[in-house]
Amino acid sequence: MNRVFDPPRLARLLVSWEIGSSVGRQFVVEAKREGAEFIEAEHMLLALAANPDSDAAKLLNEVGLDHERLATALHEEHRQTLAFVGMTATDTKLSGATALDSPPSLGTSAKVAVRRALIGSRHDHRRARLRGTDLLAGILEAEFGTVPRALAIAGIDRAALLARARRSE
Amino acid sequence: MSSTPSPVGGPADGLAAASALRAIADRLEDAEVERAMRAGWSWSQVAEALGVTRQAVHKKHLRRLLMAQIELRRRNNE
Repeated sequence: MNRVFDPPRLARLLVSWEIGSSVGRQFVVEAKREGAEFIEAEHMLLALAANPDSDAAKLLNEVGLDHERLATALHEEHRQTLAFVGMTATDTKLSGATALDSPPSLGTSAKVAVRRALIGSRHDHRRARLRGTDLLAGILEAEFGTVPRALAIAGIDRAALLARARRSE
Repeated sequence: MSSTPSPVGGPADGLAAASALRAIADRLEDAEVERAMRAGWSWSQVAEALGVTRQAVHKKHLRRLLMAQIELRRRNNE
């Protein structure tokens, strides 16, 4: 396993990154809100948007996205995805299993976003000063999956937003 | 193909649906294994119904079932 993804190491990175542990806690909040087993890239994106004062949220805001609009776009993506197989969200309402007491771990799309953020960061990795906009760029680099689908459905130019996130200082 | 495919439409929709259905199936399995064990099913019965090994069910669900405080049947009582 890539050392960056080793959970204890990741937890330390989250605390030392400029984006801070509060964003890390928000990852968990967003994942649990939808009963997800893993933190995925869409939960990270929602977490970044949840703090409107952050640089990442300001960038999102410039293209008309805030937490609520992102959540709406993600719901619409889910609706359209299920519609492909003739299902609705109501069809998938299940009696819930007991939730585990441990926080959800990082899913594949989140791990990939973190790796891309670290690679793309202009900052010295040894100082571990990864910013929210670095993580935003890491998330936006994905060409397929839930986040790019939601952005496309919402009419957002992902490539243009990615370029702005990368330029952000 | 020279250009990057779109994340919506075409195969992207089918692949996204496959991924979404997998997540739904996982949640359904969690809920129904819990329901079965609460109703007194054995690990082996649940495993057979799911078409997997007893060890696989045990590994995947034991922690959740303990958290749910379900009284689990011992192997020699099965």
